[in-house]
This record gives sequence, C-alpha cells and structure tokens, in this order.
Amino acid sequence: MNTRFIGGGPALLVKNRSRTLVVADLHIGIEADLAAHGWHIPSRSASRLERLLTCIAESDPDRVVLLGDVKHNLPQTTRQEYRELPGLLDAIREKAPLLVVPGNHDTGIARFLEPGELLPSGGAIIDGTGYTHGHTIPAPELAGHLILAGHHHPLVAIRDEVGCALRAPAYLRAGVDAAALFSRARKPGERQETGEPDPEKTVRGTRETRVLFMPAFNECAGFDVVRILRHPFSPLSRALRQETVEIFLADGTYLGPVRMTEPGEEYGPV
Amino acid sequence: MGPFDRLDGRVRSCVGERGFSRFSDAQEQAIPLILDGRNIVLIAPTGTGKTESAMLPVFSSLVQNPSQGGISALYITPLRSLNRDILARMEWWCERLGLKIGVRHGDTPMSERRKQALSPPDLLITTPETLQALFMGKRLRKHLAGVRHVIVDEIHELAGSKRGAQLAVGLERLHVYAGSFQRIGLSATVGNPDTIGRFLCGERPFSVVQVPVAKQLDIAVKFAGTTFPEQVSALTSLIGHGGSTLVFVNTRVTAEALAHELIGRGDVEVHHGSLSKEVRIDAEERFKNGEVSTLICTSSMELGIDIGRVDHVVQFGSPREVARLVQRVGRAGHRLNAVSKGTILATGFSDLLESLVIAWRALRNEIEDVAIPVDAADVLANQVAAIAVEYGEIERGQVEEIVGRTAVFTKGTDLVDRVCRQMEEHRLIRLDGSRIVTTARARKYLAANLSMIHDERKVPVFDIATRRTVGTLDESFVVGFVHTEAVFITKGQLWRVIEIADGKLTVEPARKVQGELPSWEGEQIPVPFPVAQEAGAIRREKTAGDYTGDPDAVRYIGNFLLEMERNRTPVPSDRLVMLENTDEGVICNLCAGHKANEAFGRVVSALLSAKFGTTVGIELDAYRILLRLPSHVRAADVRDAIGALDPVTMPGILRLTLKRTALFKWKLVQIAKKFGAIDPDADFERISIQRLLDFFDKTVIQQEAYRELLTDYMDIETAAAVAGLIRKQEIAVKTGPLSIIGAEGLLTSRDEVPPPAADQAVMAAVKRRLESDEVILCCMHCRNWKSRTVVARVPERPVCPKCGARLIAALKPWEEQLYADANKKKKSEEERATELRLLKNANIVLSSGKKAVTALAARGVGPENAARILRSLTDGDAFYREILKAERTFVQTHRFWQ
Repeated sequence: MNTRFIGGGPALLVKNRSRTLVVADLHIGIEADLAAHGWHIPSRSASRLERLLTCIAESDPDRVVLLGDVKHNLPQTTRQEYRELPGLLDAIREKAPLLVVPGNHDTGIARFLEPGELLPSGGAIIDGTGYTHGHTIPAPELAGHLILAGHHHPLVAIRDEVGCALRAPAYLRAGVDAAALFSRARKPGERQETGEPDPEKTVRGTRETRVLFMPAFNECAGFDVVRILRHPFSPLSRALRQETVEIFLADGTYLGPVRMTEPGEEYGPV
Repeated sequence: MGPFDRLDGRVRSCVGERGFSRFSDAQEQAIPLILDGRNIVLIAPTGTGKTESAMLPVFSSLVQNPSQGGISALYITPLRSLNRDILARMEWWCERLGLKIGVRHGDTPMSERRKQALSPPDLLITTPETLQALFMGKRLRKHLAGVRHVIVDEIHELAGSKRGAQLAVGLERLHVYAGSFQRIGLSATVGNPDTIGRFLCGERPFSVVQVPVAKQLDIAVKFAGTTFPEQVSALTSLIGHGGSTLVFVNTRVTAEALAHELIGRGDVEVHHGSLSKEVRIDAEERFKNGEVSTLICTSSMELGIDIGRVDHVVQFGSPREVARLVQRVGRAGHRLNAVSKGTILATGFSDLLESLVIAWRALRNEIEDVAIPVDAADVLANQVAAIAVEYGEIERGQVEEIVGRTAVFTKGTDLVDRVCRQMEEHRLIRLDGSRIVTTARARKYLAANLSMIHDERKVPVFDIATRRTVGTLDESFVVGFVHTEAVFITKGQLWRVIEIADGKLTVEPARKVQGELPSWEGEQIPVPFPVAQEAGAIRREKTAGDYTGDPDAVRYIGNFLLEMERNRTPVPSDRLVMLENTDEGVICNLCAGHKANEAFGRVVSALLSAKFGTTVGIELDAYRILLRLPSHVRAADVRDAIGALDPVTMPGILRLTLKRTALFKWKLVQIAKKFGAIDPDADFERISIQRLLDFFDKTVIQQEAYRELLTDYMDIETAAAVAGLIRKQEIAVKTGPLSIIGAEGLLTSRDEVPPPAADQAVMAAVKRRLESDEVILCCMHCRNWKSRTVVARVPERPVCPKCGARLIAALKPWEEQLYADANKKKKSEEERATELRLLKNANIVLSSGKKAVTALAARGVGPENAARILRSLTDGDAFYREILKAERTFVQTHRFWQ
C-alpha cells in the first residue's frame, strides 16, 4: 500500500490494488451552527467543494471516501444543508464513485445518498485498509488493519523555547491496543456468530492494528493533538498506545513523536 | 457695546443675580462670536467659565427666538455624571428664563423619555450615544428639525477617538433634519485647535478662541523615592495642610494601593471608574463640602465634574503626556484667573527625568496634538447600519454625502462601498442595486452597538490548583488568543489553559515563559517620542539642573548617573542605544516613547525571528524593549539585526508580523463585532477561533485592524526615522552588560512575534528531532567498536577510538543487530548484502562526516538516499529540506505502512 498526502486538502490518496481518495470531516452547514452561536459568516461550502474537486482532479482516484461528518447540524438537517448537500455530492459523483462512512453529525444523511453509498457506522474495509469515522468502536473486522479515522480534527502546535510558532492540521499515526478496543464490541455472554472474524484471534496473530487520524477538511474545526492524547474522548483515542504516536503535517512532513512539538526538558541532547 | 450689553435683558439680569462681577477672558472673546451665529471652538482650561461662555449667548438666542415646537439646543457631553452638574446649573438659568430643559442618557427612566417625546424641551442635555438613539424615534426626529445650536463639551476627549468620529457623523445626520445649525465646541488645551475645529465643522468656517493656560500654571517636580513606602511618605507631607488636594494617579491599581495606605487618616477618599456610581458621588460630595480634604483619583476626574474648590493638584508618578498634566493641574485654583498649583511626585529615575521634561513643556504651552481617526471602517459600518434602520432604505449616494461632509471620512473613496459589501456578508444590511436596505439583524445589532465603546465582557480565570478565581480577562482577548495549552501571564503569574468552558477559563500554574499579557486596553498612557527623547538628552548632557532647582532631584539624578559610570555601563540616551544581555533575553535601551518602541521592537523581533527560526517575545516601555530570546541569541545578534534595518522596508515587515500576533487578533475580534460578524454574546468555547479569524483576511475588517493599530498603538514612521538615524550613525548602537537603567522599570506591553514562515517553524522542529535521534556508530574497519549516542553528540568527523579509522557506519537503533551480522565469520548471502550496505553507509560518513550521520538518521533514508541528498551539496536549511523531501517520499511508500 502506498499513500500520497495532498497538503491542499487535506486529503489522502490510498493506493493498493485501486486508488482511494479519503477526506474527513467536511462539516458542510457549519455556518448555520456558527450563526446560532453568534458568528455570522457566509457559507464557504462552495470554496470547500472547489478544493475537494481539485484534490480529486490531482489524484485521479477510483473512488472517493468521505470519512464521516459530511454534514454538520444535528439532530435536524438545516435549510442550508438541504440546499448545499445535493449539489456537492453530485459534483463528487460526477468525478468518481462515492462512499460515505457516517459520523456522529451525519443524522439523516441517508436521504442524500444513493443505494450502496452509505457504509455501516462501524466502518468497513476497502481494498485492504479499514475506514471508520472514529466516534464509536470500529467494526470488529477492522482489527489487524490500518484504520483511517476522522472525528478528531487533529491540530498540532509547534512550540519553541520562547512561544508558539505554528498551528496546523495534522495526521496522527499510532499503534492501538486492539484487545482493549474491540473487546467491548461484543456484549458479555454473547456468542460469536459463525463466520464473523474474531478480533482477539486477529490480535494474537502477527498483524498489528494501527490507526491514522486524519485532519479535518473543514477549516473551522480543530482540536490540539495534545488534548486528544491527554483527554481522549473516543474509544479509538482511548486505546492508543501513546508511546507509538507519530505526528505528520498535511503534506506528509514527519514532525516526530509528540514530545518533539514541545521543547524544554523533554527535548534536546542529554 | 461690550459683550454683556449684547445679551438679552433677561439674561443680563440673571447674570447679575448670579453674582458675576466680570467676565473671564474666555467669555469676553467667545460671547460676541456666538451671538453673531458663528461656529466656534473655545479652548480654555477647566474652571474658566467655559460652559457659561457658550450657554449665555445661546440662552439669549433662545429667549429672543422661542422654539416653534421641537428642540432648539443640544448640549452634548461625554460622561453621564457631567450631566448632573451642568444640569443643576442649567436648571437654575432655564427656570428664571422660562426655558424647558431635559436630560437624556442611558439611565433616563422611560417616563421621562416619553415626556420628552410628547413635550420636547428647549434645551436637551445628552451624551453622544443617546444622540444616536434619538434618530430611531419618528417623533424625536421631528423634534430634532428645530435644532439651532449644538454645543459639544470636552470635545478634545471625543475628537481623538472613534466615539468622536461616530458623533461627527451623527451631527451630519442631524443636518439632514435641521439644516444648518450653530456648532460650538468646548475644549481643554490642545496643541492643534484647528484640527478640533475641522472635526466639529467639517469644511464649514469656524473661529477659534484660545485662552492660554501657561501663565496660570505653577508646577513643581519633587523626587519621591524609589520604594512605595518612601513615595507614600512624600505624598503625606503634601496633603492635609488645611487646603483641598486632588491626587492624580495613572492606574486604578495605584489608586487602590495609596488609598489602602492613607484611608486610616480619615480625611482621604478614592475615586475611579471601577467604583460604583454611589461610591463615586459620595466621594465627590464629601470632597466638595470639605468633609474630606484629599481625593485620590484617576483620569475619571479629569473631566469637568464640579467638586468645588481645589487648592492643590498632586500628580503621583509622571503624567506621561503634557496635555494630561495641564488638564489635571488645571483643576486647581477654581476661581477665575487664580494660579493653578501642581506638584509632580516622581517615582524613579526615568520617571523623574520624564516629569522634568513634561513640567518644562507644560510651562511653555508645548502640548501634544490630538489626532482625529480618519476613515475608521467600523465607525462607518456602525453608522451605515444606524442610517439603514433610521430610513428603512436609502441610496448609497446619500450615505456617501452624509459622511463626506465630516472631517473623519475622506471624500471620494470606495470605503462606503466596501463596508456595505462586507456588512452584507454578515447580513447586517441588504444591497439592492445602489440602495441600502435594513435587515432584521440590524435593529438587534444597534441595540447592542449604540456606542463605539467596546463593551468587554470579562471572563473569569479559575486556578485549578488552588481552586480560586485569580482574575479576569477581556473576552476579545480570550476569543482571539486563548486556546487549550496556551500560556499567558496575569497578576504577575504564568498560567496554562486547561479548558475554556461554562463562560470561564480553567488554568493551572505554568513554569515556562511563553506568555502574552491579557489586555492592552486600559490605563497605560503612551509617553510621546519628543518627551522620551528629551529625557534621553538629559541623561546624555547631564542637564537636570536646568529643569529644576529641587536639590533632592538633582542629587538623585547625579548619583544615579555616577553609579552607571562606576559600573562602567554606558548611559543610553537619545543618541546612544545600549543592548544589554540578561538571563531572559536582550534589553534594547531606546528612548523613543511607547508607540515608536512598539513598532521598532516588533520589526526587530520579526527579523530575529526569521533569522533564528524562533518565536521572539517582546515587552517594553518608553525607554526599553526587552526581547525574550532563546539562550543562543545575544546582544551582538540584536545589534546585527538593528544594523540591517531599512526604513523603507520596515512598514511592510511590521504589517506582516502583526497579523499573527495576539494584539492583532484581539483588535480583529473587536472590529468584527462592530461589523455584526460576531454577536456580543457569541459562544467562543466550542469553535476553533484561530481558523475562523483567517476568514477576515483581506477584508475591510482586517484593513481597519491594521489602521487602528498602526495609528493608535504603534508609530512606524518614527521607528523608521530612528532606524534612518542609526544608519546615518547619528544614533550609535552598542552592546554591553546589564546596567541599572536597563534593569529599571515597569514593562507594560507583552506580545509574541512568531516566525514569518511556517516553513521556518517546521524546519526548526525537524532539526530538533533529528538532533535528538539516537544513532549507533560502528567501525567498519576494525569491526570491533560500536557506540550508541544521539546525532547532536556526534563529532564533525567521527573516528574509531580503537583503531583510529574513519570508516564508521551510522545505524538506526533497531538496526543494531546488522553490525553483528555483518561481522560474522561465515555469512549467508543476506548477511553479505548487509555488510555491503554497511560499508556503503560508512563510506558516506567517511566523505561527509556528521552531515551524513544526520541524513542517515532520517526516516526511511538509507545509504542510497543519503548519498543522493549529500550529492545535492546543499547546506543549512536547504540540506534539511532535502532530508524532509526524502522522508516525505518514504512516508508514502509501502514499506512505511507495513
């Protein structure tokens, strides 16, 4: 499997036997929510769509996967979303087949999708890689794979000796404690269905479960990575093996382990 | 016929009843002009009968030409409490002259307002904000049509602010209903009376009546000591000797501290803006009736509140500006033509020199100019919204005409157009061709934005360690700057943000200095450039004795300069900039005043920031700029940066730099609020504010943020001029150890200047990472030595300590086993291949030394890639960029994802 980091998305092209373009957390319709909270800016959905179409044109994918939180408002769908979503989704469909992993903000998204486009909320494996939104425990078959997840909107703040120099969207890659993550997928006492892959068996196998958190496509969203790690708020982030966490910028630049973003006692030659 | 005789008979008999024996100079000159119907600016110190100068002729006109229904005269004054005073005096006059008088401001009860609408007064006393509100009511608008005289009191306060710009537009909106009316401005002493006149009248003609103040001032400067107890004792020796004393201080904190020390005497009270109205009125009354002989106050008392007789004004600490000193001392000696006695108590070396200069200038009437804000986009937005609601819909051309008549907006620009388009984005108005149409949001916006004063909500700061609230921050600052993990300073302590929720900020104490000071708004008055320079000249020429006869002051200054000499630290002055190394960074001793230092400091910071790829923190006052720098950047580096300053490029650098600072974001939020983009009660907790503020890029909102900061907060023209003088070597720049001048003093404004390119920050982070990566050096010659270390510790040319050879391979920690494999006596084919690879590796290290080791430490870079990177023959940043490129390629390959 190969990847290409598209900095001007941010978006990721996953190349295995086919080419999959992945984009997370569009949050179309966020402006209505902002207005309700006292921030009145016009909708930027058009410019977001343009950015997305550029990523598609640049990467020539066989399919586009929207990794959840395509829309923003919940529980209802707003007028803005009714107005903007159909056109946006159609524009994507024109270029490539569309698949959507639903996120916690995607209530009612089904009515905007065509049959076959909506994946289960626990996620799915596509061409050897796992995809889930990240707000719930992933589907058990994702164990033992690389799991791409959204929902966390990671932002990294690079600090130097004197202060904060840069804040930018980031990717977080880490190993996952699969036993801890998947063991609660089944309720106690429930028997495993035949044919269903046993996550624990996979874990005992040689394939490690790893996760890659994607930055949000929507430019208004973001949580500091340090917060994601210190105060995890999802099953996935709680199951991270923190010593394996690596941070990348949207263009693929490897920044290093978390401690590298903060100078001070933890940094520098001994 | 003297002025007295030209007044209407009824007015003359009231004058007699009032017991005026003669008119003051101000009155002699002003009354005839006003009776002639001319526009006039009357500049006179407090207590010279300014109000009567204006009102007597106006009363005369009102009784001779009674109103046809509607309001005949408007008296506009900035502070609500002033209304009380003037109202009392006016009520007396109006009652005797048979004129109806009314007062209207924010606290006026509904019943009173309704009465005014039904039965309008002849004279209405009001505030600039309430004037705005008057345009909202249909009936009130009709009443305004009869206005013939408008008096603006304390106009010097208004002219320099956006509040004043809003008032100027308000007067032109009034013109639409009332036609031409007489404009009378009452002002304290300023350096540029004509500007005040233009502010009031636009292009209409006006006269200036100026009563010089200098002959009436008697100002002494005393050195009060360097410690607070000494200063309190110096103050005590000046008060309570039978007369009444006003003690002015520069900050509320100082007022409270002094009050705390002196309250036990029983004859001292305190007065400042944070106290409740009742407490303030009580203090005023008690001072007026003699119960209390000393009143400690801040600038809240500068304006003309009548507190009776003041015998002496004490200024505690330098007044910073000549205008301020003159206005404050002017409160003393309330009787006409009596001398105003004032004493400045200086509180330190720089403070003393500054006080001497300011006192000197005050006695020579060298008062600062007032600068009126021109083309303030947020004032325009506010007024367009108000006009839209007032008219429902209106042609853009009409709006352009209204604002074009003022002096605060330049005629013929596209500002109105751009502002309207921006407002439309925020749904504050609708544009229908050339018509501006009001919207539902507009009324709601006006209800909260009647005034240009920023109504800052205060966000409490809660310390999780002690479980106490430790202070408050301005909401705009929180919105613009604070994010989780942010570190800031308040109450002299460092805090790190844990959470922003439930309307409060939860923090914990922080150790590292990465701070920004919460608020720039407030009581810090900037010291002007000429004053700071002159103080610098006194240091250089040792001429303190020319400015004062006070022996203590002269002795103290002499001793201080002597100490500087003994320590062999050169004295920074108006011709010498001293750069001094400290633990925290470098102090740049530059006597240029706050605004120029702010601009200069930020540009130098930006250059240092770019050169060293690091954030630079700045804190400054009028005589010093502290640059917080990492330990490897020293005074010599700062000197080089200053040497590289080019006056031509400085403004551009400052603009670029400003954009990412907390100060800019804070202003951006304030101005965005005035454009209706952000509601006053907007929720700032759940949203990534930083990214949202990018939205205002290249908008008229951002433009206004720049305009305001570059005129009100920093002075780039002067900073560039200073850089020019440095270039011409008329000002020298030297480095030296920390001096007592450098170490002195209160640093007032703190901010951070991030490096200009994200690239630099990333580069710095990557360099750090590579330096701290572990590497295993192993000798491929004797095959008998390996050592685990970090890249930073590797020498330029690694040598094997056992055999002296330089054929050393650099392995990543997990490749350690490969060395053993490569050294086996009998190798498999795979192991043979490993040996070849290690030899290749060692050969690269042999030819390129540490650079090769660094490249080999990078992710996914093996001998082939390393060789390629080194062949590019790049150095420094370019070298690291090659490494980054190689890593990026690797990250996208299959191997990385296995």
